[in-house]
Amino acid sequence: MKRSLLSQKKEILDRLRAAVVAGDENLVREIVKEAIEKDVEPLEAIESGLIPAIREVGEKFEKMELFLTDMMMAAEAMKAGMNLLLPKIPKEKIPRRGTVVAGTVKGDIHEIGKNVLAALLVAGGFDVHDLGSDVPASQFVKKAEEVGADIIAASALMTTTLPGQKDILDYLKAVAKRSEHLVLVGGGPTTAEWAEEIGADGYGETAMDGVKIALRKMEEKAKMSAL
Amino acid sequence: MITYLDVLKQIHLGPICSEKDFDLKIFAPELQKVLKEHEIRFDPRNPISNDDGLADDVWKAAMDFYCDVGTYCLDTERIVKFDENDIALTLKTAPSEFTFGEGKQRKTLTQRKPEDRTPPWCFLGAGGAAVSSEENLLSLVEGYAAIPVIDSLTSPALTAVDGVRIAGGSPMEIYGAIRAVGLARQALLRGGKPGLPIMNCISTASSAIATIAASQPQFGLRPSDGWLCGTIAEMKVDYGVLSKGAYLLSWGANVGSETAPVLGGYAGGPEGTALVNTAYSILGTVIQKASYQLSFPMHFRFGCNTDRNTIWTISLSSQAITRNSTLPLFMLGYLASGPMTEMVLYETAAWVIAATASGAHIEAEGVCKATHIDHFTPIEPAFAAEVAYAAAGIKRSFANELVNTLLSKYEEKIKNPPVGMKYQECCNLKTGKPSEDYIRLYSRVKRELEDLGLQFKY
Amino acid sequence: MRSSLDVSKRALTGQICSERDFDQKIFALRLAEALKKCDIRYDSEVLIPEDDGMADDLFRAAMGFYASVGTYCLDTERIIRFDESEIKEGLRVAPSEAVFGEGLDAGVFRPRRPESKEFPWCFIGAGGAPVSSEEVFLSLMQGYGMIALADAITTPELTQIDGVPIRVNTPLEIYGAIRNAVLARDALRSIGRPGLPIMNALATAASDTALIAALHPLYGLRPSDGYFVATMAELKTNFELMNKASVLTALGARIGTLAGCVMGGYCGGPEGTALTVAAHHAHGTLVNQATYHLNHPAHMRYVANSSPELLWIISMYAQAISRNTHLLSLSLNYTCAGPGTDMALYEIAAQVITAVVSGVSIEAVGLAKAVHIDHLSPIEPKFAAEVAHAAVGMKRTDANEIVKNLVKRYVDTIANPPIGKKYQALFDMKTGRPSKECLESYGRVKKELEDLGLTFEW
Repeated sequence: MKRSLLSQKKEILDRLRAAVVAGDENLVREIVKEAIEKDVEPLEAIESGLIPAIREVGEKFEKMELFLTDMMMAAEAMKAGMNLLLPKIPKEKIPRRGTVVAGTVKGDIHEIGKNVLAALLVAGGFDVHDLGSDVPASQFVKKAEEVGADIIAASALMTTTLPGQKDILDYLKAVAKRSEHLVLVGGGPTTAEWAEEIGADGYGETAMDGVKIALRKMEEKAKMSAL
Repeated sequence: MITYLDVLKQIHLGPICSEKDFDLKIFAPELQKVLKEHEIRFDPRNPISNDDGLADDVWKAAMDFYCDVGTYCLDTERIVKFDENDIALTLKTAPSEFTFGEGKQRKTLTQRKPEDRTPPWCFLGAGGAAVSSEENLLSLVEGYAAIPVIDSLTSPALTAVDGVRIAGGSPMEIYGAIRAVGLARQALLRGGKPGLPIMNCISTASSAIATIAASQPQFGLRPSDGWLCGTIAEMKVDYGVLSKGAYLLSWGANVGSETAPVLGGYAGGPEGTALVNTAYSILGTVIQKASYQLSFPMHFRFGCNTDRNTIWTISLSSQAITRNSTLPLFMLGYLASGPMTEMVLYETAAWVIAATASGAHIEAEGVCKATHIDHFTPIEPAFAAEVAYAAAGIKRSFANELVNTLLSKYEEKIKNPPVGMKYQECCNLKTGKPSEDYIRLYSRVKRELEDLGLQFKY
Repeated sequence: MRSSLDVSKRALTGQICSERDFDQKIFALRLAEALKKCDIRYDSEVLIPEDDGMADDLFRAAMGFYASVGTYCLDTERIIRFDESEIKEGLRVAPSEAVFGEGLDAGVFRPRRPESKEFPWCFIGAGGAPVSSEEVFLSLMQGYGMIALADAITTPELTQIDGVPIRVNTPLEIYGAIRNAVLARDALRSIGRPGLPIMNALATAASDTALIAALHPLYGLRPSDGYFVATMAELKTNFELMNKASVLTALGARIGTLAGCVMGGYCGGPEGTALTVAAHHAHGTLVNQATYHLNHPAHMRYVANSSPELLWIISMYAQAISRNTHLLSLSLNYTCAGPGTDMALYEIAAQVITAVVSGVSIEAVGLAKAVHIDHLSPIEPKFAAEVAHAAVGMKRTDANEIVKNLVKRYVDTIANPPIGKKYQALFDMKTGRPSKECLESYGRVKKELEDLGLTFEW
């Protein structure tokens, strides 16, 4: 009996992972509902179902075995599952690496790089609020305040929109909130020198670099809090 | 002296401030403080003030106010401020004489003073109001060109191209603007005034891209025309406004700073609106590098500026600006009523007399609040010009009497004004001639004004 | 022929669709279907295929794909669609040759075919890469202008005006664009090539406002230059891009449409990307009203297009388009490595040989992905043009061997390429002479290419 319950659970989780990898939002919702009915622990469904699936997608994307559309669809499918499961988990037990507000800066409407980053951050376990493109500095900060973001991730794809990244730092200083949010920058013309010049907390040459830096910064932050 | 590049630097360096904070914590309190300090008071019995001291007080108050408040940039959420001495120097050294038009229609614009005998510059036409068809635009502009004393044209705006509505920022707006420019130029040629400047470039274009696109010389506009660049209420600019300026000033175009403080809005009542209207002429010079200031304070509720309170604002701010600077100033009238009504002629006479006696030039005019498509004809601006010529040189005290009499004839109807008729209903589209009824109406009102003591020059 | 007004109308009336649905339910799905129907496969051993059937298959699939997908307008959230007969007609009546430039520097840009003995059009220079100052801009432009094989120039991008950083969609961008135009023309004039066309008007103008502002004849751009209108990835447009196309078309200017399809993005792998690039030619012709087509497919991670998959993509779309249309198509190459490095020269050689032998012309070169300020030099574009001329008439199979050999020399450093040195470190800015080190690298790599079988006439 026990074995059959265990194998039933394993089978559900396998299907859930497959549905996320396939980017099938509807199927993910169906399976999650089934998992809930069959008493699969919501936290387990996330940690053994959704998260490994999105990680797998992220790794395949890195190797170019899957591409952007696949990754975005997988991220949406995962979100759909999370939206059903999260309300069933006590807040303190929710596995979260951190909260990120992401967007492309004002005047810039390029989104692909930012979309990749957002999807990879989701895959990395972050709660991501994507503001889209052409986002003024004040909006980044307001959203970060609203959701208690750990990180503001600002993308710029043109030399002439780079200053928009500096604007966010200026704005944070003006409202005395600079120490409350980490600011990571990235996108085509962004360089490490530029990031240093404007006082950003980190810079990612590629979207994957961005995720690694976000993870490292969150670890550093956790260590600082522990001290 | 403050350069345009200085302005463009400051929009990225000035103090950060949310729009809400600018409006409520900076603009409004400072305005109240300055009005109190300078004891500026509205007198409803005298819509045209005769008090030079009051006018000068308004100017001083406006300078204090502008130096403290600055200009707000919506896109960068920062305030642009300059040192008072730099502002004063920029005003002092601002050019005061500008040439518009070509050939026989070439003329120099300079400032007038209150009670000036020199007739105002007559910048006549639609006030940027919208027409329903290209045929109407052509006919109207030819009609305007026929006005004997017209110095420059304010062209109507198109609303659609080939049946597709124009939307701001879209390619349709570009097509519309290019087409409207071409049509206006063509109509002026047909009307026998090929050199007449168009001074409200470009009425069909609100966005920077459409303005810039349709300004390319290949489409018909010339350096001897004039471009209106609006600010945003109150005391605000954005990238769009400044981009138009950057383009136009780069090749030496004449920019008109277009401002419309709202009586009953952030500017408060008549006193505040008069002060803000005056401060706008400083903003227009310092920030926009304008050749001419064009103002149309508007009543929040009525949507026009021919009510008693707003006429007082027009008159007092005109006196303040023209007594204390060298800036050429236009007032633009917006009337509540429409064509083929006696009210439209009374309103026209009232605001034109007020503006002329107070030192302004005139842009005439926005009929029927410029919101009803096709509700305007060449008769109204033609009448405005005749009144302006008649009012040049009259004393402010006499102007005050005239305006009070005129107000008594229409101010009760401002809340529910008659919209009158469409252009094609009271004028002949092909010949441009008004109907017999309209001619009779116009002649009767003109006689009434003569009976009140206004002496028409023609 | 479709007019730009017609395109605007379709953008306003086409099928409503969210961007997400367009990307995932229309674009991705139809791409997968199109790929299933045609038999194209990436083969890492055959970077320059000699399979005419595969090229023609790709072309047919691309046109069918475009007919089923259309172009997405981000501002109206609608799809601009053309049916197969309109696409055929559009391609048929698209320009099949174009004169650029003036006087002694005028030239005729004509279409080519795979293994063609026709010389490619060499559009060379900065690839729009950024420079830190006007001094560097001028010196580089003079260097580019002195390249004998240059048919047209691609200027750098200015990043500041009088020390103030340029931001897109701001008045400073307008100033920057104007200055870009003025300086570029002055530089070419100063070295005796006043008629040489600038075909990437304008690198400093990303926005429609800035580009159109700089078109004023005062600033030096001419109808015989070429003007860029980009595409949003993938197969998308917006009002800003359509505005550019509308004004440029109204002025009779020649438009270059840019397509930077991302391998690893919505296009998927090499096959999908090659198909999407080919489809962009239909989009560019019909939506952007283009005369010439600049293609710079990019690697999702490496950005540049010198990796083996990207070379295959270049070869495939080039053969598909040049075998089946008379469109004026160019390959715009971006290298991973920067100026003054052997790697950059290897990359350029691989890209240029691939493009030329596969039937298109070249734009060279965006060094170090065109993102590092001042990482440019005239040596690499000169080298690109010389390689392009040397590759003319070569068989695809021979070219394939050379290119594979070149790829081996740099493929392992693609992820961490040397970004080289700044222009100021490689050249004497006053005399325009390259450093010894620079010349040695250029000479060495050229010799290596000769050893591989390339015969340089220059």
